Amino acid sequence: MKFKSLLWAVMAIATVAFTFSSCSNDDDGNSGNYATYQKAVDTQVRTQKKHDKAILLVAFGSTWNNAFLAFDETRAIYEKEFPDCDIYVSFSSAICINRAAAGQNTDEEGNIARRNYYAPNFWLHALAEAKYKDITVQSLQVIPGEEFARVVNYIKDFANNSLGDLDDRYLAYLNEGHIRLGAPLLSTEDEVKNVAQLLNKNYADKAAEGAVLFMGHGNPDSYDTYKANIRYTQLETELQKFNKNYFVGTVDMKDNFKQDVYARMKDAGITSGKISLHCLMSICGDHGHNDMAGRGNEYWDEDEPESEDNSWLEYFLHQNYDEVTATLLGMLEVEDIRNVWIQHTKDAEILEDFYHSMHPEE
Amino acid sequence: MICAALAVVISYGLMCGQEKADSLPEVVVTGTGTERLLRNAPVQTEIISGKMLESYGGKNLEDILGGLTASFAFSEGDMGSQMQLGGLGNSYILILIDGKRIHGDVGGENDLGLIDPNNIERIEIVKGAQSALYGSDAMAGVINIITKKHSGSGLYLENTTRYGSHNDLRQHDGVGLSWGKWTSYTNFQLQHTDGWKNTSREFAEAQVFEDSKTMTLNKYTNWQIAERLNFQPVKKLELYAEGMYYNKNINRPQNGTHPSCDVYTYDLMYRNASAGVGSKWTINDTDFLTLDVDWNKHAYYYKYTATTLSDGYDPMGNFTNYFPYFRGQKNLQSDQQRVMANLKGVFALPYSQTISAGLMYRYDYLKSPMRTVRGTVDDQSQAIYVQDEFNHVPWLNLTVGMRLNHNENYGYRFTPKISTMFALGDFRLRLGWSQGFKTPTTKELYYRYLHVMGATQFFNMGNTDLKAQTSNYYSAGLEYRGRKLTVSATLYRNVLDHMIALVNVPVSEIPKDVTSSYSGDGSGEVVARKYMNMEDARTMGVDVNLSYKMSKELTLGGNYSWLDTKAHQYDMKKHRLQNVTIDGAARSKWNAFVNWTHRFVPKYQLGVNLSTRGSSRRYYQNNGNGAPFQLWRLNTTHDIGLSGRPLAFRLNAGIDNIFNYVDRTMRPYHLGTNSSGITVYVGFNVKFNQGKKIKMREMKRSSDDEAVDD
Repeated sequence: MKFKSLLWAVMAIATVAFTFSSCSNDDDGNSGNYATYQKAVDTQVRTQKKHDKAILLVAFGSTWNNAFLAFDETRAIYEKEFPDCDIYVSFSSAICINRAAAGQNTDEEGNIARRNYYAPNFWLHALAEAKYKDITVQSLQVIPGEEFARVVNYIKDFANNSLGDLDDRYLAYLNEGHIRLGAPLLSTEDEVKNVAQLLNKNYADKAAEGAVLFMGHGNPDSYDTYKANIRYTQLETELQKFNKNYFVGTVDMKDNFKQDVYARMKDAGITSGKISLHCLMSICGDHGHNDMAGRGNEYWDEDEPESEDNSWLEYFLHQNYDEVTATLLGMLEVEDIRNVWIQHTKDAEILEDFYHSMHPEE
Repeated sequence: MICAALAVVISYGLMCGQEKADSLPEVVVTGTGTERLLRNAPVQTEIISGKMLESYGGKNLEDILGGLTASFAFSEGDMGSQMQLGGLGNSYILILIDGKRIHGDVGGENDLGLIDPNNIERIEIVKGAQSALYGSDAMAGVINIITKKHSGSGLYLENTTRYGSHNDLRQHDGVGLSWGKWTSYTNFQLQHTDGWKNTSREFAEAQVFEDSKTMTLNKYTNWQIAERLNFQPVKKLELYAEGMYYNKNINRPQNGTHPSCDVYTYDLMYRNASAGVGSKWTINDTDFLTLDVDWNKHAYYYKYTATTLSDGYDPMGNFTNYFPYFRGQKNLQSDQQRVMANLKGVFALPYSQTISAGLMYRYDYLKSPMRTVRGTVDDQSQAIYVQDEFNHVPWLNLTVGMRLNHNENYGYRFTPKISTMFALGDFRLRLGWSQGFKTPTTKELYYRYLHVMGATQFFNMGNTDLKAQTSNYYSAGLEYRGRKLTVSATLYRNVLDHMIALVNVPVSEIPKDVTSSYSGDGSGEVVARKYMNMEDARTMGVDVNLSYKMSKELTLGGNYSWLDTKAHQYDMKKHRLQNVTIDGAARSKWNAFVNWTHRFVPKYQLGVNLSTRGSSRRYYQNNGNGAPFQLWRLNTTHDIGLSGRPLAFRLNAGIDNIFNYVDRTMRPYHLGTNSSGITVYVGFNVKFNQGKKIKMREMKRSSDDEAVDD
């Protein structure tokens, strides 16, 4: 074998190898996306702007049609309550935003409707670009927990001009008391008492007939940074001052699952009779329909009665209660409770005062 | 009962066994890494021959493996093929192409589209831990795809085009060239389907929607071009270089109306590439050395179909859940790259011994900006192995192998293997024990992502506390291989320690701030899943294979596989062991076929293949179990032209799922089979061979093999 021939072979082989090994360029040049997207939100706000004041309602979000309708209704009511304000609804879940915008759910009349629930940071930026003179951000959360903390952070980032592209003079103006934050439902211990009274007003009849169980969400231990889970316990205490038949449990709060509620019911001697279940969340979505009100074999595992996958309804039916019913309404759909959020919007405060509401134990 | 049935079949087979064989003896390489006659392979090897492949006419590898063996269970999905062998999933099954492992998975599922079904010469399946020879990943078994070799001189051209229901198009083109010391083979393949929808019913929003747009199988297109160049400067030295590029696009429906379940804002895209060089130095008739070095890349992207907010970095470089992507843009989810080097030698020693020994180096690199904490991770391992095949007396073969593995994170581990075969006439008794060792993959350790399946969202998490998995595989098999009848039964038990599985964990395990998917106000629910070590797991089963050649023209056969699995995990909350379902496991699977060929005139041969396959219920942790099913298929082949001529034609037509069985279980619950019901297809193959006749390597060798083995 001649050396030249071998060299030629090696070169040919190397060429084949490199031809097929060429790496693709993973960067699509997306760096301008953020600005492009923001511009679209800015344009929408500029087009929609009718007043000098804006209220931004911030919820985690949903992909359920009944939730969209609940948010639609809430916005309509806010428009009536605050006729001098433009009302915007924001989600903090990216997936919910993406799908609500791309999907084609229906509105109240059954017509196809696409909805843009932009993330709070994009809305706030657009509100600033539109030079609103007064901005109120209203948290639609139930407790001042993890989700609420995110809302606080959105406002902080905005007020601090975190992207550096807003007019500093305008922000300085806003920071002089023209941007405020409305508290979540169970903002303070006093408000827990108020909400307990309003819930009792709505559910006293049911409590007279049997146990009334509220199912909140709650934060798992690792997420309960602000110890806001305590609000559920406080609410149960306050409700029981009206009637011992009231209980408040959660999906995710440690030591306050359905089994813990049942244990407390047994301690109180409530081992039979009727139970009515209610969703202590802003809207009644997956947790309300499935975890709370799910009925049938899909929601009950005979081999694992304590499974977290078993619904509350099936769980309590299997504890020999006579009747278990569920009401599929979110708290935004209960007028008295929705009014608490509306009042919080009216009472909205500048940001600093929310430190303690985020730390209920202090 | 099985034994009685076997006895009857074997006795009948013995009576018929006097007739002269009319087929070439089959050679296998996978079990020992050296070429052996199938009947004398010390490790039980299931083979899907080229003839079976032709008569079955499968459209892809899933179709072939699902239809021609009872060992596998498949569910073809968005992300690849969820495959099971002996109760263990993709990550335990090593898929080799000509002895080299394929690369890349998405969610633990391999993309078998990388393998061109028209370029397969035969498939060898060896069950059980083969770690000693092949290293990590081979705890359930090895599938070795032997590709067609076009090693003769001259020009070789081939085209196969197949078209079927659902706009299913399969295209295969091959160009072989041979001149002097050079040979080249270029392979192109394209696979496309419009997909299908078995049901419009989907359970979401606590109700059943009747108008879901979600597909059972999404539309996809993939194509691949591969090149292999061989150079033989001297008779005893072969050099080669090879490369491959592969592209796959999966299109999801864009007309969804329910944001909770059938609205998709991105498609899926894959890009694979590989390059390799190697050599084989034949020292003498029995001894040789091989060196192979290869690089592989498997990249997975979202390709957006609507404006989508995703995890990323804002203009100031801060992490955000709201980085926007627009229609047409793509976003890298993961890029897995691997470099492997293998040096192997096979040497004949005195007393009829054959020694195989080798060194292996492997480097894995994973780039995943949003799915790993640091954006990239890597892993290195090395191994040294040796195997001795001892064949001093004709009735006994003893193969002992061992491998010393080293992984930078998991240290050293020794894995032995013993196989023995007793031969008595046409009977073979094979006993085997082998240990497996598998370090967690980079994905099992570090990956984390939100997996959205309609209304269900899973947050899957890697786990850096994982221990390496080990296994002990025991098998005993009895085989009768007569001239006309082959029947075998193999009993196996695979015991795994620290088996890694993706299991449900409390939602509090989801790390904070990596995703906004943890729902805070009750509008949706995320199922948290994490890779965890099981306390113990075992699978055991029996495989029965039967093949009977009634005449030169008529063959029938069947396979049955029975499986039992058990796995336990310690439940930290309840302080007790709990049973864990191994996803996708079915108790029984079976298949059977009858194949008839007849040459009516010298220029025309007809082949008719009727086959059936079925499975009992498949079990899953989430979203229900898959219903049992039984499917039937008819394939016909029409060979046109005289054999030995440069130009040959073949027509292939058939009906799949003849009795139109469709599993219409509503989404998102598991299907037993995703078959769309009755489908028809027709394929046309043309081969042109100018120059010296091109022979398959095995055919060329077949006459020598008995001498090699004895």
